Amino acid sequence: MSHIHTSVGTMWDRWRENADRAPDSAAVVHWKAGEAPRRWTCGELIRTAEIYSAALTNSGIEKGQVCAIIVRHNALLYPMYMACVSAGAIPAILAYPNPRLHPEKFREGLEGMGRRSGLDWILTERALEDVLQPLLGDGRSTIKGLHFPFEDSNYLEVVQSGVRPGPAQSAPLITARESDPLLLQHSSGTTGLQKPVLLSHQTVLEHVTEYGKFLAVSPQDKIVSWLPLYHDMGLIAALHLPLALGIPTIQIDPFEWVQAPSLLLEAMSVERATLTWLPNFAFSMMADKIQEEDLEGVTLDSCRMVINCSEPVRYRDQEKFFNRFAPRGLKREALASCYAMAETTFAVTQTPPGREPSTLAVDPKSLSQGVARPVAEGSTARVCVSSGELIPGCQIRVVDDEFNDLDDGRVGEVLIKSSFMFDGYRNYPEKTAAAIRDGWYLTGDYGFRYGSDYYIIGRKKDIVIIAGNNIYPEDVEAVINDLKGVIPGRVVAFGEEDAEFGSERLSIVAETPLTDEGERRQLRMAIIKAGMGIDVSITNVYLVPPRFLVKSSAGKPSRSANRERVLRWRESDTTMGTRR
Amino acid sequence: MISDELKAVILSTLKLDGWDLTDTTLAAEVPGWDSLSHINVVLAVEKHFGVRFRSAEVLKLKNVGDLQRLVDSKLAQKP
Repeated sequence: MSHIHTSVGTMWDRWRENADRAPDSAAVVHWKAGEAPRRWTCGELIRTAEIYSAALTNSGIEKGQVCAIIVRHNALLYPMYMACVSAGAIPAILAYPNPRLHPEKFREGLEGMGRRSGLDWILTERALEDVLQPLLGDGRSTIKGLHFPFEDSNYLEVVQSGVRPGPAQSAPLITARESDPLLLQHSSGTTGLQKPVLLSHQTVLEHVTEYGKFLAVSPQDKIVSWLPLYHDMGLIAALHLPLALGIPTIQIDPFEWVQAPSLLLEAMSVERATLTWLPNFAFSMMADKIQEEDLEGVTLDSCRMVINCSEPVRYRDQEKFFNRFAPRGLKREALASCYAMAETTFAVTQTPPGREPSTLAVDPKSLSQGVARPVAEGSTARVCVSSGELIPGCQIRVVDDEFNDLDDGRVGEVLIKSSFMFDGYRNYPEKTAAAIRDGWYLTGDYGFRYGSDYYIIGRKKDIVIIAGNNIYPEDVEAVINDLKGVIPGRVVAFGEEDAEFGSERLSIVAETPLTDEGERRQLRMAIIKAGMGIDVSITNVYLVPPRFLVKSSAGKPSRSANRERVLRWRESDTTMGTRR
Repeated sequence: MISDELKAVILSTLKLDGWDLTDTTLAAEVPGWDSLSHINVVLAVEKHFGVRFRSAEVLKLKNVGDLQRLVDSKLAQKP
């Protein structure tokens, strides 16, 4: 990475330096299906961000205030995000609500988030004004006001004029220090269970610099991404890393990609992109759902690394992806994997460039007993895929329940210590205390080391990861608990592996006294609709008789025990195992 | 007006029965029809009617009525 600029300072300093050094070089390409892309150069991006920043300051946004950004992906989002940084505010990009998410649930989520994160302002669209307005001045909310930076004249006119407005014109735009907070990221969830991760300028800048070195990023690299910017993989890997290292990023609206997944490959081919990050399900989806006609003229020979991250890496899906796209020029050594999380800014382990992830065929029975015992590849072996080696600045321990370090090939919880670690969950000391022990972050993931490779194979936490999104079972159980026909407190939500989908699906098991098949069908539909109301798709519903669920020592139904019980019973008792 | 044939393809893909689909029905209103299953619906419709949609056409669909009109226009172009 000898030609990549890696000075210190704030993130804004870095962006400014990149723009001063190469104002006409490509920074962000906003890719739209069927339209000419919007191409931002470094110089234009920073100028627009400065203008936006002055408009934000004039609208009352101050240094240190948290600005939630809730907008659909659009070409002005990038300079507006940078403008928040320029103004010394702390941007927090949040998911735009799906139409199926009930407005009340959306507000509740924001209220809960606001109490922890101290949200000060919401930068959003007029389309959400009616939904968001009740949050203001209700006495419970920290939110001071709404801004509409893509629609209101006080923003648009100054952006179109290209001139920074006064009186902020003479004021310094940047008053931040390296140790000041740069951004706030939230884990998924809908009822205020989200944990806000605060990261400083220095932490993010050092991380993307080190990670970029490990990836051997050069000025010839280009990133292409459809990932949402409210997710660490989209925000850190596909936006902060290229902006800081001065290489272009081609950005696709996630809602467009999911409807037309060939867009990513089309953009990669046309722009000659070299790096992309994808959750595992996308490998499966792109291999299965893209039609040959959509790939006319597409070549993938520019691709240096396609990095599988955010979900457990599944061997079958990597192979399927490679076999499907090798005829289009995808190189075997471009397959890559990574283990990352918001709490460590992003990456902890990564496969080195030019080396596909190592695999290890193990005996599944031994693995379930905590030992990765290599066996010859065969129909009964489980092929584990490595998530790579430690990147500089990160340390991992694999430990047993008593925190004793385990040898190679022994499965335990993965603990991390990193130079890029968060300072704790904002305003959440109890969650922070539970997540960190003697400076080690307890990931809740199960894995093992084998040589220099780390393999992540499961989770200790009950969290369900569907297509790269974290779902908290508590959120889903809470809304189903209220349904008529469900015995209160007797609901469990859990993830079920779906090999074809390449990810997990959400399943519900609920106790009910109902025996009439018509009433049970209605209840099943009510459960699915309750999930829709919080924008969660429920795939399987298992209705079980009273006293079916196993309780934990705390008196609540145990998710893991009931998951095993239901799946076992599903095979033997067809009357209870009602799947959609 | 949504044809019974289109309704049957959509509902079968989503494993739903007895759900009414009208011109103005949005995917978000239908159980199981989320952003991730949308592509399955589109592929099933293409396969059933023997037609092909371009990405830009799929991205313009706002409701089930739009999908019906797109299917009709493709069928009209078939020899």
